[in-house]
Order: sequence, then structure tokens, then C-alpha cells
Amino acid sequence: MIKIWDRFRHNPAAVGGLLFILLLIASALLAKQVAPQSPYAMSTTARLTGPSAVHWFGTDQFGRDIFSRIIYGSRISLQVGIIAVGFSFVLGTLMGVIAGYAGGWIDQIISRITDILFALPDILLALVIMAILGPSLNNLMLAIGIVYTPIFSRIARGAVLNIRDSLFIEAAYSMGVKQYKILLRHLLPNILSPLIVQITLSFAFAILAEASLSFLGLGVSPDTPSWGIMLSSAKDWMELSWWTAVFPGLAITLAVLSFNVVGDGLRDALDPRINNGQ
Amino acid sequence: MGRYILHRLIIAVPILIGISILTFFLIRLVPGDTVTAMLGTNYNPEQAARLRAQMGLDKPVIIQYFIWIGHVLCGNLGYSSFTDQPVLTALLQRLPVTLELALLSVLAALLISIPLGICAASKRGTAADYGSGILGMFGISVPNFWLGTLLILIFSLHLHLLPSSGFQSLSKSVPGNLLSMIMPVIALGTAVGAVTMRSTRSAMLDVLEEDYIKMAKAKGAGNLRIIWKHALRNAMVPVATIVGIQIGYLLGGSVIIEQIFGLPGIGQLALQAISNRDYSLLQGTILFVALTFIVINLAIDVIYGLINPRIRYK
Amino acid sequence: MKKLSFLMCFLLLFGILTACSSSNTSSGGTSTSKSDQKPVYGGTLTIADLNDAKGLDPHKETNAQSFHYIENMYDTLFQYKKGKYGVIEKDLVKDYKISKDGKIYTLHLYNNVKFHNGDPLTSKDVKYSINRIKKMGVRAQQFEAVSSIQTPDKTTVVITLKQAVAPFLTFLANPMNAIVNQKVVDAHGGKLDQTDAGSGPFKLVSWKKDQEMVLEKNKSYFKKGLPYLNKVVFKAIPDDTGRTTAIRNKELNIDLQLSSKDKLLLQKSPGINVKSVTGTYWEYIGLNVTKGPLKNKDVRDAIAWAVDRDALNKQVKFGQATPLTGGPIPPGHAYYANLNTYNKRDVSKAKHLLADAGYPKGFSVTLKVGQTQDQIDAAQVVKAQLKDVGIKVKIQQQEDSVFFNALGKKQFEMTIVGWVGFVDPDEFFYNIFHTGGAYNQQGYSNKKVDQLLDEGRVTMDQTKRKQIYEQAQKLIVEDAPMVFLYANNQSSAMTDNVHGFDVNPTVTTKSLESTWLSK
Repeated sequence: MIKIWDRFRHNPAAVGGLLFILLLIASALLAKQVAPQSPYAMSTTARLTGPSAVHWFGTDQFGRDIFSRIIYGSRISLQVGIIAVGFSFVLGTLMGVIAGYAGGWIDQIISRITDILFALPDILLALVIMAILGPSLNNLMLAIGIVYTPIFSRIARGAVLNIRDSLFIEAAYSMGVKQYKILLRHLLPNILSPLIVQITLSFAFAILAEASLSFLGLGVSPDTPSWGIMLSSAKDWMELSWWTAVFPGLAITLAVLSFNVVGDGLRDALDPRINNGQ
Repeated sequence: MGRYILHRLIIAVPILIGISILTFFLIRLVPGDTVTAMLGTNYNPEQAARLRAQMGLDKPVIIQYFIWIGHVLCGNLGYSSFTDQPVLTALLQRLPVTLELALLSVLAALLISIPLGICAASKRGTAADYGSGILGMFGISVPNFWLGTLLILIFSLHLHLLPSSGFQSLSKSVPGNLLSMIMPVIALGTAVGAVTMRSTRSAMLDVLEEDYIKMAKAKGAGNLRIIWKHALRNAMVPVATIVGIQIGYLLGGSVIIEQIFGLPGIGQLALQAISNRDYSLLQGTILFVALTFIVINLAIDVIYGLINPRIRYK
Repeated sequence: MKKLSFLMCFLLLFGILTACSSSNTSSGGTSTSKSDQKPVYGGTLTIADLNDAKGLDPHKETNAQSFHYIENMYDTLFQYKKGKYGVIEKDLVKDYKISKDGKIYTLHLYNNVKFHNGDPLTSKDVKYSINRIKKMGVRAQQFEAVSSIQTPDKTTVVITLKQAVAPFLTFLANPMNAIVNQKVVDAHGGKLDQTDAGSGPFKLVSWKKDQEMVLEKNKSYFKKGLPYLNKVVFKAIPDDTGRTTAIRNKELNIDLQLSSKDKLLLQKSPGINVKSVTGTYWEYIGLNVTKGPLKNKDVRDAIAWAVDRDALNKQVKFGQATPLTGGPIPPGHAYYANLNTYNKRDVSKAKHLLADAGYPKGFSVTLKVGQTQDQIDAAQVVKAQLKDVGIKVKIQQQEDSVFFNALGKKQFEMTIVGWVGFVDPDEFFYNIFHTGGAYNQQGYSNKKVDQLLDEGRVTMDQTKRKQIYEQAQKLIVEDAPMVFLYANNQSSAMTDNVHGFDVNPTVTTKSLESTWLSK
């Protein structure tokens, strides 16, 4: 554990990413204290005003403070990340472990389901699911969760297959240890490291997916301070006010970037054999 | 090899059937239907019932499915319930746009990213290497729709250099067509390029560590010669895989990019079909996309085998 | 219930029309009128609209966007007069007579009209077309009062109605009640979705969905010397910014419908003229009167008082729309009633009304909107405004198909949406406010209003009719099943070499037949 942290610590990009994620978490938790204004407060006078001492990132077409909306937006992004990725992690891992461990027709069924889900581009799949469920934050998290479930399922299944036949599992089995105990004690800890990396990377995907779907108008409700929604409505106004389009996009990029570099750093740290020297 | 392709094709059949079932039945769970989308606020129950009967939407769903799948097997994807255009015609009319967008994106991405990746690998640990690393990470993380929006902001709205929306067909005007494609290709290709660059770099590093390269170096072969003759070919194997994986991203990304730049491609068609609850069109489009996806993946696998004959097919 | 001519508007908005602006003036970078110049023949005109046509069958389409494409291929018996909102003039009809009781219409057609395939257009085609409209359903209600159609000779049509229908000429002038060629219809299995069966000034050359539609001059058009243009190219560019850039780069000649913001931007562009007129597109807050707190008239009135129409106009429309403080008919229209009921926002009055109704602390309500950006924006502003009187609004955005379905089934509490294309006052009111009316989504019912609307429908005398609709508007505004917000203006931008194009409240492109391009 300490070794892993040590390796991670020596990757400056990953550490930077981690710091930014901590900043995001802090701003999501303390949004009320940090944001200078309510994210919903409109003003008829301060519409589309540029960045200034009062409005750091300027205001949008309703005179709402963009900085405050970005702060509150981190709540939406993190919430979507945690719940959607949590959903796909739990469901996907469960499916994968069962498939890998049970084999036979159970494996066949689960694998075919993941194949079907894999055969569709993720955004398209999420769009169809959103059309069925209707736009709302909860449905959005569910849709993203479903889309990323097969990835976890495949990773878990592959890892289980890899070690199922290994000696120590066989040994445990022959010693009469119950199946579920084998699963819990031996299998899970061994497949955890690829899953952890995948979780971090999926976080980045989930934030992107939320923003994309909201951008297309199939995400959260239109007055929600979501980065994707902000960017989507900015498109109509940006000729007059570049700041409406630049800052929310920057927020999305930095958040996604942070999770990506941390995921990368974790992969290197967890598996010292792959060392690119970066 | 032939057996392997056959095997893959056989696996594809249940996947396609699964997708057809999934889309057909799931779409019918969606609130709202074609008829209400067609009538809009002019909705009244009598007229809606008449239209539904006309389109066969009053039959049991299972029957509707078998009627549809029967037609599909004969190559008839049905008619768009919204515009009455044959679905296949609609798809073929839009395919060139998406195809051009995807191909140009991949091409541009590969042309830039592979040399960059090689360069980074051969100058490992230098500032150039780190710089390209950071660039690559940014390229992966930046949302394509933001990139597209920024490009429009700069090149269309402020510099008035490029059209912000719309498509010129290649047959009508080649320069016009390319001009309308520049920004979409950049927006869509950046992530592909970034991923490819990163994997080229690490694949090259792995290969450069191999004994036979070290030997070649010891024998006094020049750096460039080594890279071209020995390393690149071997490094292409993992790169091909990554490009294959990116096809899914391209197909999905084109939905958003086509929407932003007003390109009349398959992605835009899919969005319209979803929005209009155009059952037959959506079913056809999804089936088409899935089929394309599967075929491309198979093709990539075959190419993979050609580049690297050592791979055994199980 | 008598279901006579349920008129339908020309259309219902699928969420699209964005146009607006403030007065009936034209303005622009170089707005010199060259109308005194002699028209020039030839040239290709490119015009951009918000969306592509769905299909090309005039008798089937319900979507306003499709009309702008279709109407150039067809002729109608009557037409809306260029530049005069609500006035009808002859088109295919050379002269006509209406019997005193308003039941018999005798129409004489021009004898030199030819369909695009060369067939002559005769009285039989008129009869066939009206019957087809009735069969196709979409505008069937407009002709439900027709009891018989006779064709004594090739150019004479006698239409007999069961009872007088005051807006009948308006219906005949609807560009979608077009005369079609039966032979072409039959040759295409009864479907006109992808074909042209008309006699209009332009004929269809090619149509690539969501890319472009090319029309070319009908050389044997029955109006002598028209059209001037050789070719018209329609482009569908859904993105506002895309259209604005294209016209600034002179890739377009006409940008048919401008958003308020783009109107302001384009007015400053050199070489581009922007014209606007008071449009027919009006938006409102719909209140479902059949359930919950909104059943109570006082609550609805409270909302009408709590809404700040001027602020909405400013924040959503850049101050370019005309706020509606009375009924939905905009100022400038012959049937405008100067009620000015909700002349100013009054929060304390609204609070009083709420307290009287038993909601001193307000209540929670869900507001549904579709995909029209202006309406999504308006919803956010209304939410903030109603918060001041304690009403907590939750915004639910839905895709249009789901949204309109919900409206039709009255599955909503509050909504923001709009209607477009009305000409006759009957179109403004009957279907929407009559008890059980086809589009009475609010579930509104008032016996007195029903009576007035029934009367208005059969009254041929103009002054009497005006009084009837003024009274009806007053009642409706006070009952507040809808909180009327504003009437949008219709603005188009055109390059300065375009002449003779009429920016019309109903957003018609019919005037392309007499539009010309200077060199």
C-alpha cells in the first residue's frame, strides 16, 4: 500500500490531478459558502456582462453569475460520477464475477448481454435510454450507469478467469472453504486493482457523458447549474459573450483531465511492470 | 483465418438479433409515439387512432416485431413513419457524410499522432516527450462538443473564415466540402489522435526495449532505420487495436459533432429519429450502426492478423 | 357538439419559430428601397429556413416548416394579400360570388392554368382536392360544412355549405389547401410526400433531405411574366448561428426567420436588410384548469398578475416582442381588443388573491416545456418571478413528441408554449377556448364564451363580429386559462440585391413568385 502511494507520489501530473479533484469535492461540499451568489439569482441589469471583480467569470443571458453556477455545477458532475460509476461498478463486477466463476450457460448469457451493449456506441445507447426514461438527473445517472456496466463486467470476468484456475484457489477449494468465501477472500482483492483504475477512468467518462447529454438537451432540467447545460445555452450567446462558452467548458475539461491523469497514475502505481517513465 | 472470420460472423448473428429485439421493444416503452410527434399540438384522439391503424401500430407488439424482422431479412428496413422516406434510402443518403467525417478524422489523427508518438518515444524523457504527453492527455480530456463550440466561436464568429454549419457535398464543390469539414474533423479527430499518439509512444518504447532492436543498434544501424524497419511494424499491432476501439467513439461522437455543425449524417438522423419517436427509422439506424460497428471491428481484427502473423486465432 | 369547420391553424409549432422584433419597420445596413426599379429576370435565390420539410404533401403536413417549401409548388383558390395581415384576395379564382345567406360560393377559375406535367387545371381538380383534404384529415374540419361541390363547366365550381362559415375564404386561402393533380396523386399511390403535383410558380427539381431542395421556374405559370427567378434553393439550417454566418458570408440571399438576437446582430451587417412585421406567433403560460390549485380562478389571476411580461420580453426576447396585456390577438390586427387588463406586474395583488384562494404561502407546481429554446428560457424566468409570490415552480423539459402528447392528454399543470399562423379570429379562439374544443388543452369551459364563439363563427357582419370577439376576449382574459405573454415579430434578413420579398406575419414564402434579384 505504502509502496503504491510512493510510486503515485512521484508522478507530478497524477498528484496535480488529485489536488484538483480534492478542490472539486471541497467546492461541491461547500458550494453555499464558496459561491458568491445563488446560482439561480437572475438580474435584468447585469445580463451578459464580462468577467469583472463582481462576476469573476461574467454573467449569462439571465444575469446569473457564471462562477457561482460552475461551483454548484461541480455538485452535479460529482454526483453523476459517484452514483453512475457506483452503479456500473457494483452491477458490472457482480455480473463479471458470476459469469467468470460460474462459467457454462450463465457465462454465455451474461457475455452475450455485454456484447450487445458493447455493439452500440455509448452516447447513442445513453440517448436511447434517456429517451425511454425521460430527462431527469436520476434517469441520467441510471443511463450512464447502464452504459458503463459491461466494461466492469468484462474486466471482472477476465480477471476471475485468469486466477480461477490458479493454484491457491484450487487449494482453498480442496480445503473445503465455501464458494462465496473464496470469492470474497481471494478473488475480489486480486481483481481490485484493474477495477480501481477503471473506476477512476469511468469517472471521467461519466462527467463527459453527463455534459454531452445535457448539451443535447436530454439531460438534467434546463435551469440546473450543470456544466453541460451552461455550455449548451452559451452556444446561442457566445458571439456576444465568449465567457459563457469558455468557462463551463474549461471546468469540464479540467475535471475530466484530473480523473484521467489520476487513473493513469494509479495504473502505473498499481502495476509497476508497466512503467513508461512518465 | 477464414475459419476465424466465420466464427466471428456467427457470433455477430445473436448480437444483431439481440440488438433488434432490444431496440424494438425498448423503443415502445418510450412515452409518446410517432403519431403524437406527427400531430404535435394538433393531437386529437380520433385522428391519432386512424393514423395508428394506417401504420399498423395498433397490432400486438410481438406481431409488429415479426413483420418488421421479416422485412429486414429481405433487405427492406421499412419506411420512416415521420417522413415516409424509405429507411434504407435515408441511411444511404446520409452515410457519405458520416463516412467522410469519420475517415477524415481518423486519417488526420493518424497522420499527426503516429509521427508525434514515435518522436516522443525516441526522445524519451526530454521536454518534447513531456510536452507531447501533456498535449495527449488534454486531447483525451477535452470534450469534443466544447472544442467544436470554441472553433465556431473563433473561426466562424470572429474571424469569419469558415462556415459554422451546413454541408457541401463533395460532388458539388470539393473545396467547399473540405472547408465545411475542417472544424468537425478537428473536433472529432483530436481525441482519436491523442489516444493514438499515447499508444504509439508506449508501443514504441516496449519494442525499442526488445533484444532484437538492441542488437540492431549494437550492429550499428542508424536510429531512423531502426525505427522504420524494425520498430514501427511491430509497434503497429497495439496501435491498430486502439484505432479499432476508437471506431466506437467516432460513431458516438459523430452524433454530437453532426448536431453542432449541422451535418446531415447518420448521427443527426439518429437524434431526429429519437426525438420524433420514428420507430422504424430508429430501429433501422441502430441496427445499421451496430452492424457497421461489428464489421469494422472484424476488419480491424483481420488487419491486426495481417500486421502480426504470430497471432493465433482461437 | 357541432363539429363544423374546426379550423385549424396553419400549424402548430413544433418548437421552432423564433422570430420577433418590435415594429412594422424595416431597418438595415443599407436599406434603400429599390422597389421603383424595373424587375430583372433570372438568377438563383438561396433561402434558409429553420428546418427541412417533413414531407411535401400539402394536405397532410401539420408542421409549419413544411409549408414554406410546399407552397411554392402549388396554387390555391384564394391567397393572403401581400403586406396586409388578414386580408384575402383571389388567386386561381378570376371572379366569384357568395350568396346572401353565405351558403353558396360560385367560383370562376382562370382557364389557362396548367399543372407542372402539362395537364390543364380544371374545376374537377378543385373538387378532387377539397375531397382529398377532407379524406386526409388534417384540415378536414375546415370543410366539414361543405355539403356539395358542383362543376357545371371546366372553369366553374359551386360550393354549397350546410351553414354559413364566416372564415371560409380564409380557409380557401390557406396555402396548404392547395389544388393538386389527381393523375400525379394516383401515379404515386395516393402519396405526395416526395413529389410535386402542383401548378405553382416553381417546380420541384431535387430534394436531398436536410441538405437542400431545388425548385426551378414554371415557364408556363398562369400569371403572366412571373416568376422572375430561374431557380430557388431551399436550405435547412437549424442552427441560428449557422444561418447568420451564412448570410453574412453571402452564401444565402434570405434568412427567413431570425431570432431576436440575430436580428440585432444582422441589422449592423453591411449589405444585409432586416425586415420585420408583427407576427402571428404568440406565446402563453397554459394553466390546466381541471385540477389542483389552478382550478381556482383567483389562483390563475394571481399568476397573471405575478408575471412580469416586460421583464420576460427583455430577458428572453431582447425586448423585441410585443407583450400581450389582454388577449392573444396582437395590436395591428383588425380584431385586436385594447383590453390592457394586466397592464403592470402587481405582486401584492397576486399575494392577496392567493391568500383569498386559500394559498397564503403559495404552492408547488410543475411547468412542462418542450425543446424550443425561447420557451425553455421563459420557463426559467417565470420560475424566478413566481417565486416572489410563493409559488414554487419545478421545470420539466421534455422532447417535443412527449411534450405535445402530454398537452393533448391534459397531463400537465402548467406549460409555456405558443401558437402560430392564425389569421381569422375564429382560428384564434374556437378550438382553443370552446368547451371540448379540439385543442382546448387547458380544459377551459365557460358557457358564455361558447355562445359568443358559436355566434362569431356564423356572423358575416364585420362590426358585429368585432364586438362579439372583443367580449369573448375579455371573458377569457379574466378567467385566465392562459396567461398571454407576447406576440413575436416575424423578421427576415436578406441581402440587398433581393427585391419584392414580402416579410409576412404568417411566415409564408409565397411572394417568391414576384421576388427578383438585381445584378
